[in-house]
Amino acid sequence: MAEYRVVGKGIPRKDGIEKVTGEAKYTFDVTLPGMLYAKILRSVQAHARIVNIDTSEAEKLPGVRAVITGKDTQGMKFGFVDTPRYPAEQPVIAEEKVRFIGESVAAVAAVDEDTANKALDLIEVEYEPIPATFDPEEAMKEGAPQIHGEQVPAPGRKCAWQDWGVARAARSYNPVNNIGAAVNISYGDSEKGFSEADYIRDDTWVIPRTNHACMEPHGAVASYHPLTGHLDLWLSHMGFELKRYWISKTLEIPISKLRVHKTFIGGAFGGKAQVFDHEIIAAFLSRKLGKPVKLILPRDEVFTSTNNSIALKVNVRKGVKKDGTIVAQHVKLISDMGAYRGSVPVCLFLCHSMRDSIYNIPNLTHEGVGVYTNKSTTMAKRGHGSQQMTTAIESQMDWIAEDLGLNPVEFRLKNLRKKGDVLANRDTLNSFGLPDCVKKAVEASNWKEKRGKLGPGHGIGLAVSSMFNGSGYWPFTAGSIVRMNHDGTVTLYMGQAEFGQGPTTTTCQLVAEELGLEVEDVNLIDGDSELCQFDYNNFLSGGMFVSCKACLVAAQDLRQQVLKVAAEMLEEDAEDLNMLERRVYIKEDPEEGVAFDEILRYSIQKHGGDPLIGKGFCKPVPEIEFYPSLSKGSGRWTDAYSFTAAVAEVSVDAETGRTKVEHIWVGDDCGREINPLICEGQLQSQAVMGMGDALFEDVMFSEGRTINANFVDYEIPRAFDIPEITIIDASDPDPNGPFGAKEIGECARAAVIGSIVNAVYDATKVKVDSLPLHPEKIFRGLQEKAKV
Amino acid sequence: MREFEYLRMNTLQEACSLLSEYKDEAKVLAGGQSLLTLLKLNMISPSYLIDIKFIPELNYMDFDEKEGLKMGALTTHRTVEKSPLLKEKFTVLPETELVVASVQTRNWGTIGGTLVHADPIGDIAPPLIVLDSRVKLISADGERTVPLAEFFVDFFMTVVEENELLCEIQIPALPAHTGVAYQKFSTIEAGIKIAGAAAMVSLDDGLCKDAKIALSAVAPVPMRALKAEEILKGKPLDDRLIEQAAQAAAAEADPVTDMHATDEYRRELVKVLVKRAAKMALERARAS
Amino acid sequence: MELAKKWIKVTVNGEPRELLIKPNITLLDLLRDYLGLTGAKMACISNSCGACTVILDGMAVKSCSVLAMQAEGSEVLTVEGLAEGDKLHPLQQAFINHAAFQCGFCTPGKLMSAKALLDENPQPTEEELKRDMEGNLCRCTGYKKYIEAIMDVAQHPVKYSAKEG
Repeated sequence: MAEYRVVGKGIPRKDGIEKVTGEAKYTFDVTLPGMLYAKILRSVQAHARIVNIDTSEAEKLPGVRAVITGKDTQGMKFGFVDTPRYPAEQPVIAEEKVRFIGESVAAVAAVDEDTANKALDLIEVEYEPIPATFDPEEAMKEGAPQIHGEQVPAPGRKCAWQDWGVARAARSYNPVNNIGAAVNISYGDSEKGFSEADYIRDDTWVIPRTNHACMEPHGAVASYHPLTGHLDLWLSHMGFELKRYWISKTLEIPISKLRVHKTFIGGAFGGKAQVFDHEIIAAFLSRKLGKPVKLILPRDEVFTSTNNSIALKVNVRKGVKKDGTIVAQHVKLISDMGAYRGSVPVCLFLCHSMRDSIYNIPNLTHEGVGVYTNKSTTMAKRGHGSQQMTTAIESQMDWIAEDLGLNPVEFRLKNLRKKGDVLANRDTLNSFGLPDCVKKAVEASNWKEKRGKLGPGHGIGLAVSSMFNGSGYWPFTAGSIVRMNHDGTVTLYMGQAEFGQGPTTTTCQLVAEELGLEVEDVNLIDGDSELCQFDYNNFLSGGMFVSCKACLVAAQDLRQQVLKVAAEMLEEDAEDLNMLERRVYIKEDPEEGVAFDEILRYSIQKHGGDPLIGKGFCKPVPEIEFYPSLSKGSGRWTDAYSFTAAVAEVSVDAETGRTKVEHIWVGDDCGREINPLICEGQLQSQAVMGMGDALFEDVMFSEGRTINANFVDYEIPRAFDIPEITIIDASDPDPNGPFGAKEIGECARAAVIGSIVNAVYDATKVKVDSLPLHPEKIFRGLQEKAKV
Repeated sequence: MREFEYLRMNTLQEACSLLSEYKDEAKVLAGGQSLLTLLKLNMISPSYLIDIKFIPELNYMDFDEKEGLKMGALTTHRTVEKSPLLKEKFTVLPETELVVASVQTRNWGTIGGTLVHADPIGDIAPPLIVLDSRVKLISADGERTVPLAEFFVDFFMTVVEENELLCEIQIPALPAHTGVAYQKFSTIEAGIKIAGAAAMVSLDDGLCKDAKIALSAVAPVPMRALKAEEILKGKPLDDRLIEQAAQAAAAEADPVTDMHATDEYRRELVKVLVKRAAKMALERARAS
Repeated sequence: MELAKKWIKVTVNGEPRELLIKPNITLLDLLRDYLGLTGAKMACISNSCGACTVILDGMAVKSCSVLAMQAEGSEVLTVEGLAEGDKLHPLQQAFINHAAFQCGFCTPGKLMSAKALLDENPQPTEEELKRDMEGNLCRCTGYKKYIEAIMDVAQHPVKYSAKEG
């Protein structure tokens, strides 16, 4: 691998000073003069008609400035998905009925939070309960309560995809038997494949909702200027573009009058991607009152009213030859979607596409439905679909290996795709470090000496996963500008969002490398929709491969401009020049050169005032105009895949069923580590998060009510619980990645979960069919085994 | 938080007199590590908050070989955790404190406040119960002491009357050849407790002279497992007998099914935890 | 009807302050709303997350769970008071060196917990450290890097005290 000056170095993060001194301002910290505070009244009914809402007492309370209900926001619909087939169906505030406990019913703006809370208590809502349904398989039966009627787009309303240039108009959607989304993908001939199989295995897993549990609760500050019609926003987001689009669309404010300001963002993990009711409500109230409005959700509302990860029942049937060659696979998914679609239509598709790059399966059928239930909505979480599928498929891989007497490592390696493979949708594996990930993780963990040899109560397990590197989403591009400053430093304008994953540092490394600068020489402007370019590529892990690459392309553009001017000044050919330490020099004679500041001055003086501005852009999949079909999976998905192989070693207390994860080895292919410190952090993060997913995280419901909507009853891993973690770089540089780099923020979580599931099986031989592996489940399994 | 009048007390007498005046209109604030959460969620809205946290008379720790330990109600959890005296005399208490909530909570939260809050999953009550602790309650009308084993009435309810304050925790000196241990079970180390058990074993001439077992999170209140104790008393202890006692304790427990575990599983855990705690207590008794 | 506000004297980051406050606010509200010190954060309402941790008379406490009035006469140190002029506190420097934060929302709380811990026990074992940091939830880092950062300060006090800024 080529050696670079800045790229590949564990340079301290550029956002360090602000973050360790408390200067970093998050949405929660924004205060504006004359600011009002808003609170939302949430439904206590899972399914009910709203007979009447009496807000008169609340309005009379001193300090209350406005009380709004669904009548005020009548007809405003939003959704993560708004396609010709699936129209956005979630009202900003519930209108004729409520569909889940936690749905917004009314909102208040008042002079302070206490007054707003008191006003909520004074709002009288008269509900007429309707039978509710909480289980997707019950909800699909004839005679089950119907959560939605026909979803008819309002006359003249364009769906988001039409706004973005898709030629088809929105149709009405009738969710028969509460089915709100479906996917059906196939290639090869499954029937033939299974008929040729020597062995067929059929397993079903139930994966619950888990919470993103970002430390920063969701929130918004909105400030509308009644005279100019401008709306200023501070949001906790994953890219300003989609939020700005949706707030513009629902409130019919021109997008150019809407500005998202930079805030620090306290974690996202997929859970802050879509627009939320509270953000639109804050903006609505601000416009209504002509005052700044702050609306921060308390933690319980983050659990009950934003979204959790996607709940799936995954059935996998697999046909295998005696020698371990996989010949056919049929997957059936049922998603307990919640009251609105959330990102389920996308997830059903991703469940296939995130795994399609791993094993070569010649005959495949993948079908799934998303079913409405009277629960809160569900959304992407770090790996969006990958972990649900990986749990089911990777555990089945181990069970098949066991049944056929195959070595689980060899069995996987035998079926892995090959570098250069072209998938059924024409995505090409230009880089494929997965075999190396497996081999290195297995070797580092001393797997051969451990698997099946650790004795009772101890086990080791392996699983593999893959991840997209960005996928098309409005505005389907990432743009960037790098400008030269008077002193020869540069300023980079970056559109992507920093929410902890590190692009404010890694992007500057790319630009510094390209321009021969130090990271300190790159000033960064980010997170502001007025100053920065279009970008929404943190979605599906396009941060490095698409957004950062756009910045690199801008730096390359500036480099060419600088070299051209320098060539003129030095009377040399541009090819004979190089740049380092804010100057251009002649390769043959490094003492001879000109400094960047002189080049800038020269350019301004001799080239009509040209101040040297580099422009860059990058598209997730350059060959396609739009997103692929979600329901058929046709069309290109992404331009590169990242890969992980994780090995976990566990011990299980036979008397209680409690699992302790001793060690996790993460072999990861991220193309190239631009900043090893940040890369390690991303993988450690996923190892620990994955441990929570595997062992205890579970958002629980009783009759539609979230019963563990707090950090006492919903536990996430704490400092004492963390295992040993070994990170192994097994990167295969991708020809299209910036310096070969690919994503590293999402892929590993799924593999870690799978590896723990397989390790617990190795330790106990207890077959579990649902996550998390709560001690009680393992204990019951051990008891059953003891009886036999 | 709703509005209330905040009253900072400097003496015990002042506190008692205000408490008898305001009765159920008032709430007593010590460290407030549970109370503030209730206030913030508007689950309680007292008119008066009587802050006893800074009354010097309630913050002390006295030990006497004969009388045992007397500890003011305002002793913080962190003080217990770090106390060299307790590490020597009542090792189980500092050990238990390591798993009580977090350092921040232990720094400000008090033992008295925790006991009066009476959360059935609290960690500190079971070891205090097997240590035969008593608590002293005081009011404008006088004072009384109550065995901690009889202190808890129901979920979040104790025998403390509305005009009373818990002012002292008393722990008798441990007899010779006595060991005490506490075991808890939670999904993660600092997680919510699913079951807990403390055991005290006192040996005399190789026989179990006295035994006490207390359970928590498996009944509305921290409870003694009396039948289990009887199985151990007066006999030479071995694994088989401890196993029997553990079975008996599981039968005595009165757990519920909630989001964290089923009642059946909690009973199974009681067996394991009592066994482990009793074995550890026995080892310690032998070593002492 | 609103109850009378009360005067409170409290020293924050070395500066004596006298403030007229509502009695029903927490120490966190006092710091954020009255003094504009927004470093301490609130990530839960159940006394669980530790993002609001500050040092009160030498002890780490969760400022969301201490009534502001209880800080009367006390000294409070927040993350804003950790650096001295242009010189970062060793823990701040170590957090930067180790990339011990990601989103940064819970970082101020972690730093204050770590400071109180090292002030009391300058040479903790890793096990002690992990146990004492249990009151600080983190979703981004997986805890590894900040445990390393704190251990680095504990094990190399000279390196960090010699460090400029």
